[in-house]
Amino acid sequence: MVETLSNLAVGFSVALSPPVLLYAFVGCVVGTLVGVLPGVGPLAGISLLLPATFGLDATRAIVMLAGIYYGAMYGGSTTSILMRIPGEAASVMTCIDGYAMARKGRAGAALAIAAVGSYVAGTVSVIALMFLAPPLAAFALRFGPPEYFALLLLGLLVLAYMSAGSMLKALAMAALGLLLGMIGIDQMTGYFRFAYGVVELGDGIGVVPVAVGLFGLAEILATAGQPTPPEIIKPRLRELLPSRREWRESASPIGRGTVLGFVIGIIPGSAHIISSFVSYAVERRLSRRPEEFGKGAVAGVSGPESANNAATSGAFVPMLALGVPSGPIPAVMLAAMMVHGVSPGPLLIKNQPELFWGFIASMYVGNLVLLVLNLPLVGLFVNLLRVPYPILYPSILMFCILGVYAVNGSVVDVWIMLAMGGLGYLLRKLEFETAPIVLGVILAPMLEMALRQSLAMSDGQYGIFLGRPISATLLAVGLVLVLLSLKPLITKSLDWRARLAMAEKGENLP
Amino acid sequence: MTTIRFAVLVTIVLLAVIPGAAQEPYPSRPITVVAPFPPGGVADLTARPVAAAMEKTLKHPVGVVNKTGAAGAVGMQFVATSKPDGYTLLLALSSISIIPEADKLFGRPPAFTVDQFAPIALISADPTILVVPADKPWKTARDFIEDAKKRPGQISFSSSGVYGTLHMAMELLSHAAGVKLRHVPYAGAGPALTAILGGHVDALASGPAVVLPHIKSGKLRPLAGWGDKRVAALPEVPTFRELGYPDAEFYIWAGLFAPKGTPEPVLAKLRDALRGAVADPDFKAAMDKLETPIAFKQGAEFQMFFETDAKRLAEGVRKVGKIETK
Repeated sequence: MVETLSNLAVGFSVALSPPVLLYAFVGCVVGTLVGVLPGVGPLAGISLLLPATFGLDATRAIVMLAGIYYGAMYGGSTTSILMRIPGEAASVMTCIDGYAMARKGRAGAALAIAAVGSYVAGTVSVIALMFLAPPLAAFALRFGPPEYFALLLLGLLVLAYMSAGSMLKALAMAALGLLLGMIGIDQMTGYFRFAYGVVELGDGIGVVPVAVGLFGLAEILATAGQPTPPEIIKPRLRELLPSRREWRESASPIGRGTVLGFVIGIIPGSAHIISSFVSYAVERRLSRRPEEFGKGAVAGVSGPESANNAATSGAFVPMLALGVPSGPIPAVMLAAMMVHGVSPGPLLIKNQPELFWGFIASMYVGNLVLLVLNLPLVGLFVNLLRVPYPILYPSILMFCILGVYAVNGSVVDVWIMLAMGGLGYLLRKLEFETAPIVLGVILAPMLEMALRQSLAMSDGQYGIFLGRPISATLLAVGLVLVLLSLKPLITKSLDWRARLAMAEKGENLP
Repeated sequence: MTTIRFAVLVTIVLLAVIPGAAQEPYPSRPITVVAPFPPGGVADLTARPVAAAMEKTLKHPVGVVNKTGAAGAVGMQFVATSKPDGYTLLLALSSISIIPEADKLFGRPPAFTVDQFAPIALISADPTILVVPADKPWKTARDFIEDAKKRPGQISFSSSGVYGTLHMAMELLSHAAGVKLRHVPYAGAGPALTAILGGHVDALASGPAVVLPHIKSGKLRPLAGWGDKRVAALPEVPTFRELGYPDAEFYIWAGLFAPKGTPEPVLAKLRDALRGAVADPDFKAAMDKLETPIAFKQGAEFQMFFETDAKRLAEGVRKVGKIETK
C-alpha cells in the first residue's frame, strides 16, 4: 500500500511534467473529436495517430493514445444525446434515453450527467486498475469460449428488459437482429453465408451502419414525415445543468455502472460493448419507475455512460498485467507499446515503473482534463439544436454517410446504412423498437463463435458449459433471471409492463 | 486511420475536379498502403514503419489503411481491382496465396487471383514456432508428436482462423508427422494467443515475436520451429527439418504488392523507395523492437520465393480439404 502510493507519487511526477501533460491533453482533445464524429471511433483515432508517435518516447506516446481511447468514450455520448446517432457501438444505449431527454429540453442535463458519470467511472476504475490489475488479469484469462458463451447468453436475456412496449415485438426484433448477424463467413469452416457473391458481406453486417441507420437516419426520416415540423428546442442557460432530482437519481446508477463496466471490461473480447447494455438492463430492473425508461430516464443515461467508461480502464488490465490484448483497441495499444520497444506483460511493472505508473497517473489527470474540457462544451453542443431543421438534418445525413463510409472505406456499408434507415422508418411507423435489432446484430456473431469454439474444444460435448465453474455460475444466474420473470405468471400479480399497458388504456391500477 | 481514408476520399474528389491531374509525376499525392488485417497484427505492425520510412524517400504522405474482413480477402480484392497507378498498394502476408486456393476448394468464384498483383518486394519472413503452455507435460517436439499419435484428435490448438496462416502451419505439421490435432479457430492471432495463455487450448503455431515475452516470463514453452534455420532469438529450439519433418516448413512473410498493370517506372520508383526504407535506421529499430527479422528480397528473387511458397501452401490447402462439419 505504502509502496503503491510512493510509486504513484513517482507516476504523478511523470504525468504532471509539462510535455507528458501536453500529450495527455492532445490525446483527450482528439479523443473527444473522434467520439463526437459518428462512425469514426477510437480505433480509427488511435491507428491514425500511431505513426505520428514513432518519434516520441514511449511514455508520451502511450499516454496520448490512451487519452484518445477514453476521450472517445466521453465524446461518444454527445451525438447520441443530441441527434440519436451513436458515435460507436458502446453508446447505442445512450441514444434511447439521452435523446428522449433532449426532446424534453434536458439535453444539457443529459450531457452534463454523461460527462460527470464518465469522470467518476474513469477515476474510480483507474484506482481499481492500480490495485487489482495483477490478480484480476489472471482471472480474466480464465474466460474461454464456454464462459464467454454463458456471458453472452446472459446478455441476450437482457433483451427482455430492453423495450418499453410489447415483449413479443421486442423478441421479434431481436430475432431479426440475430438473423442479420448470421450473414458472413462461417468462422469455423470458411463457407460464405448469405453473401451472394459480395465479398464485403463476408465479414458480416457491421454494427455501425446498422445502428446509425436504424437510429439516426430513421429519426430524421420520421421527423421529416411529421405533418407539423417539431419545435426547435431553445435551451436556456439555466436549464443546462441537471436538477437536484436528476443528480440524486444518477448517483447510484453511476456507482453500479462503474463496477459493472470495470468487471465486464476486463473480460477479453469486445465485452465493453455489452457492459452498457447490461448496465441499462440492471438500472431498469432496479428502478422504481421502469416505465420511464425509453422516455427520458436519467438512469438510462448515467448507468450505461459510466459503464462504457469504466470498461475502457478494465480493458487495460489484461493488457498491462499480462500483455494480452483484450479487444481491438487494446490490441493497437499493445502494438504501439511494442513499436516503442516496451514489451507489455508480467514484467512491465518491474522493468519500466516510470512508464507503468506514469500511465496510471496520466489517466487520473486525463479524466480531469476531459471533465474540464467537456462541461463547458455542453453549452456549445446544445446550441447545435438551435440550427433550423432544413440545415441541420441534411448536414447530419452527410456526416452519417461520410462517417459510415470511413469506418471500413466501404460503399457497401453506406448502402446497408441507407437500407437500415428505410427499415427503421418503417418499423417506427409500425411501433416496433429498433434497439433489440442492434443488440442482435452485435451478439449473434460473438455468440455463435463462442458456442462453436466451445464445442470444438469439447469435441461436441455440451457438458463443457456445466463442467466449468465460471460458465456454470453465469448460466445459473441466467436461469434465476428467467425464473424471476416467470414469477408474475404464477403469483398472478402484474409487473410494470402490464401496469404500463393498463395505464395507457386509461384503466385504473388494481 | 479512417481520417486518412477520409483525407484520401477528399483528395480523390478534389483531383476529379482538377483537370489534367492524371499526368502528374509520380508520386504527387498521398499513397495508401492497404493492410488487409486489423490493427495490431503482423501486417499492420509491418505496414506502419514501412510506410513511415517510405515517406522519407517519396516525400509524400504514405498512409496505412486497415481494410479488413473475410480473412484478408476484402482488402486484397480491393487492391487487386484498384486503379494500377501506384497510389494503392497492398501489404500482404502468406495468406495471399491461400485464399484463392480455398475459394477454388469451395468451387466459388475467387475473390482475386495471385496473378492480379505485381510483387514489389519481400520485407520480412518469420518462421512460425510451436508453443505449448509451460504446465503441459511435453518438453520436446518429439514428446508432443508421440503423444498426439497416441491420442488422435485430443490435443487442441488455436489459430487465427480457418485456412489462416497459423492454421496452415499446424496442418503442414500434422501431415508431415501423420498426427491428427483438434482445431479451435479464433478470429485473429491476438485472440488465438489469449486462448493458449488462458489454458483453453494445448498448442499454438505463432510468429516468434508475439510469443517471445511469454516464453521469457515462463508461461509458454517453445518446442520447435517451422523455418529452415533456427530462430535467432531462440537458438536452443530445433527446427522440424532437423527433427526429420522437412515438409513442415512455413513462414509468415510480409511483402508489398501493387495491382497488376502498374506502370514500370512507378514500380521502379517504389522498389527504390522500399530499398531505402529497409535501410532506414528508424525502420530497422522498429523491426528490431518487434523482433521481426528483415528479409529483403526484390525482383526475380522475391518472385521465386513467392512462387515456391504459393505452391507449398496450395498443396497444404488441398491436403486439408474442405472442413467437414459434424
